[in-house]
Amino acid sequence: MFLQQLVNGVVIGSVYALTAMGATLVYGILRVLDIANAGAYVIGAYIGMTIYALTGNLFASLVATLIVSGLIGVGLERFIYLRLFNKSPVILLITSIGIFIFIEDLLRLLNGPYAKRFPAKLPFDGVQLANLSIPGTWILVMVVTAVLLFVLWYILYHTKIGLAWRATAQDIEIAKAMGINVNLIVALNFFLGYGFAAVAGSLIGIMYNSISPTMGDIPAYKMLAIIVLGGLGNPVGTVIAALVIGLVETFIGGYIGFFFPRDAIAFVALIILLLIRPKGLFASKNI
Amino acid sequence: MYLIVVATIVSIYAILALSVNIVTGYTGRPNLGQASFFGIGAYTTAILAGKYGVGFMPSLIISGMIAGIIGLLLGLVSLRVKEDFLAITTIGFNFVIVAIFQYVPFFGASMGLSIPPLKLFSIPIGHIGLLAIVLLLMLLVILFSYRLERSWLGIALVSIRNNEDAAESLGIDVRRFKVISFGISTFIAGLAGCVYAYYMGFIMSYNFQFMTSIAILSMAVVGGLGTIAGPIIGAVILGLIPEVFRFASDYRLLIYGTILVLMMCFKPQGIMGGDNSTFINLIRKTPPKTAGMDK
Amino acid sequence: MIVSRLSLKEKTSLEKIVAGIYLKFHPDFSLKRAYLIGIQQISLKFKFRGGNVMKKYLFLVISLALIMAIVLSGCRTKELGTIKIGFFAPLTGFAASDGESVLNSAKLAVETINNAGGLLGKKIELVDYDDNCNSDQAVSIAQKLIASDKVVAVVSGSYSNPTRAVAPIFQSAKIPMVSSYAEHPDITKAGDYIFRQSFVGSIQGRAGAEIAVRKIGAKKIAILQVDNDFGASLADSFREHAKDLGGEVISFDKFQIGEKEFNPLLTRIKKENPDLIYMVAYYEEGSQIMKQMKQLEMNTKVLGTEGIDSTKGFFEIVGKDAEGLVFTTNLNRDDSRKVTQDYIKNYTEKYGFAPDMVGASAYDSFMVLAEAIRISGQATSDAIKDGMYKIKDFDAVTGVISSYNKLGEVLKPVQVQTVKNGEIHFFDEITDTKVITPPDI
Repeated sequence: MFLQQLVNGVVIGSVYALTAMGATLVYGILRVLDIANAGAYVIGAYIGMTIYALTGNLFASLVATLIVSGLIGVGLERFIYLRLFNKSPVILLITSIGIFIFIEDLLRLLNGPYAKRFPAKLPFDGVQLANLSIPGTWILVMVVTAVLLFVLWYILYHTKIGLAWRATAQDIEIAKAMGINVNLIVALNFFLGYGFAAVAGSLIGIMYNSISPTMGDIPAYKMLAIIVLGGLGNPVGTVIAALVIGLVETFIGGYIGFFFPRDAIAFVALIILLLIRPKGLFASKNI
Repeated sequence: MYLIVVATIVSIYAILALSVNIVTGYTGRPNLGQASFFGIGAYTTAILAGKYGVGFMPSLIISGMIAGIIGLLLGLVSLRVKEDFLAITTIGFNFVIVAIFQYVPFFGASMGLSIPPLKLFSIPIGHIGLLAIVLLLMLLVILFSYRLERSWLGIALVSIRNNEDAAESLGIDVRRFKVISFGISTFIAGLAGCVYAYYMGFIMSYNFQFMTSIAILSMAVVGGLGTIAGPIIGAVILGLIPEVFRFASDYRLLIYGTILVLMMCFKPQGIMGGDNSTFINLIRKTPPKTAGMDK
Repeated sequence: MIVSRLSLKEKTSLEKIVAGIYLKFHPDFSLKRAYLIGIQQISLKFKFRGGNVMKKYLFLVISLALIMAIVLSGCRTKELGTIKIGFFAPLTGFAASDGESVLNSAKLAVETINNAGGLLGKKIELVDYDDNCNSDQAVSIAQKLIASDKVVAVVSGSYSNPTRAVAPIFQSAKIPMVSSYAEHPDITKAGDYIFRQSFVGSIQGRAGAEIAVRKIGAKKIAILQVDNDFGASLADSFREHAKDLGGEVISFDKFQIGEKEFNPLLTRIKKENPDLIYMVAYYEEGSQIMKQMKQLEMNTKVLGTEGIDSTKGFFEIVGKDAEGLVFTTNLNRDDSRKVTQDYIKNYTEKYGFAPDMVGASAYDSFMVLAEAIRISGQATSDAIKDGMYKIKDFDAVTGVISSYNKLGEVLKPVQVQTVKNGEIHFFDEITDTKVITPPDI
């Protein structure tokens, strides 16, 4: 049973990592908590489902959802976040919540309140070992997450644009002064951030064969806890924190049962951590 | 009667918006978990009045005190935590408190708690009486805020918001005042929780979720943080939207979201926020310290 | 006012502080300039307070406009000669799918009654509102229905939290309210004007235990329960009654509404190998539980509850994985009585999908109100209330209603259905009065 729970935890953690990555990227550049990112999660699920229904091609739907949601993210950034860039974080947070409420309700009006199916046919089957059963969807989730995160890691740490990105995240004014095209960087940031969240939403939709307009409610807040645990704006830290939370939730459920609401676990962990280490789990050296 | 009931709930929210204004408006500490203290006040009253038959006045005071004391604790915690993390800490606190209400049988767990109808000196108070009490409470909070703004404490709080380091160098005990402002703010929220418990007659953990904290903060922000009229107006406007737009009931959430976004885009200082530098200081971010992404 | 009081000469501590702050940031300022600016800041602040008349007017205008809007919105066009029945349900928010279901049924019920000639020669008018499953809003809606819309009776199509909050309001206004499916025990305790159309939680739990131990013959049972009042009341009464009947509950797990990930819990339960899983959940969670059990190759028998009885929400998602599921509910699809079959047919024709438990409950709530009016011959609130208590052996969609007891709880059999070949069919019916008699205090 331990192996089964372990794999389960990793899968859940992977989805959390992909979902939280968007929020981390946005925080890294703009220093704001973006709840609207969870809106991309929900939109992504619906777009993925629709494209799949039209084309029957899983790969196409995942790519399409990443691109479309990424563009939506850039749009939001240009028209709304840019205006509020130098305002207090409280204002930006409330704006992002307003956007999130709007997106979820719009989807409800367009698609109806009932859950819909996302019956994706996978090109491979699950794995059945002696004590371990790994459904095909789990493999899909782990593979896609690994690929996307690897691509992000490569871009960030092994390309010129990644360097420019990291510089911008450190200090946007200085980056601008050094001639970096900050606008492009920020746009790319939002594109990937929202795109990733969208793919995560689609993956969840496929994994549970169910998408609904309110599926973003819990991820919206849980992701905040995860990115703080991971060190706010630190992508590697976010992945690790996401995996840890996924595993902790799974093991508690698997061995003791949820003596406490499952979704509060991430926050309890957060509060305990902040009391012990106020700088977060993987604090950057510059704080 | 319908108007009286609506007026009562709007006034309760106005009190809550005013309470969050003290810690987020005056002192500049983002508090996204005010609903937890609202809930602590309500549950305290539910237990005192509902389970032990304690009267209104003692319940009111005790609810406020307990919420205030726990708020002081949160204030102490907030000192340890960096600025950027404070918002999330308050969110986390909200989730944990709601989870406690949800799981602990003493708090009714998932079945919730009932509160007996309000009686003052053994005379039952009806809806109108309750509205009178709530309005009186709101008046007291308004007066308190007014005096606070002009007091030594108030100026100190605002100076902390505008520039913490400067305030500290002027000899203001920043740490002490941050904690105090949390305590005051949550005490008031606890009072609001008490009257809310009597108003609803029945409470469940769902009434105090994170979304409620957002609603409270939005009211203060949309109305204008740092003012007194602001949170009240915010409560009136955002609180009345569900009622006014009942005919467009299918689109209400859409409208609510849109109003939030539009207000923040075009008038982030809120409706009552002026152009003077107090507000410019409020809405301008302090220079960001670097975070992350530098490995 | 206060502006005039401040002059350069006055160096109150207030100004000292502000001046000090300015000096900190502009060390090149002279002391005098710093003070001047400090005073200016304070006076601007005060001037804004006292003198900005425009803002004050704006505030007044906005609030007056809003208040007028409410008052006006309260005045709906009064159709003379109709019987107004109020209705509220969660049309937005997480419970929106149930809201849609009950509103559909409510409209169908009103239509059916009106097409058959109405009641006492008058048509029924449905006055419906969305409560967002929020008790604050339900309370305002209640007052609106009473004071502005002046309804003679109300049906609640919502969950326990809102329904429980408004029950005392309707009771003190002496307006009868029928709760369609909210099962919190305190709802009917609000008074004699409050009725419950669907069985209270404890009855369904006991009925479940009967099926589990007596009919299915399970000895070791694992319970999976949604963490709210619905879950608690059913699971607790199931547990108690199962113990009385000789069954043993070997594990007890709670999960949150909307939970999708059950693998951790199911993996552990699989290891414990129970004879039966008693699943108290709504359709979103229930469908995931069934699917993930199949994924984990668990063949354990599952007993569900009315929470999963949703055509679009459950059966569409779960597909073939629900084969063999047994669940307690109130709508018997195989019921040969005309009233049930007509409802199913008419609903499916009108809305394109088969009706579910919440819909059937809402439909019947209107039907019993209509019956109460017929019995008492009058459409006043008091007459309707008295009529409700006089209902005997009424042919409702959800079964033959024996009566309403003095608490307002319904006495009718519990339906048990099963999924066979992808379709919902009759499995059993619990009529044992020891099990289905509701509490009367």
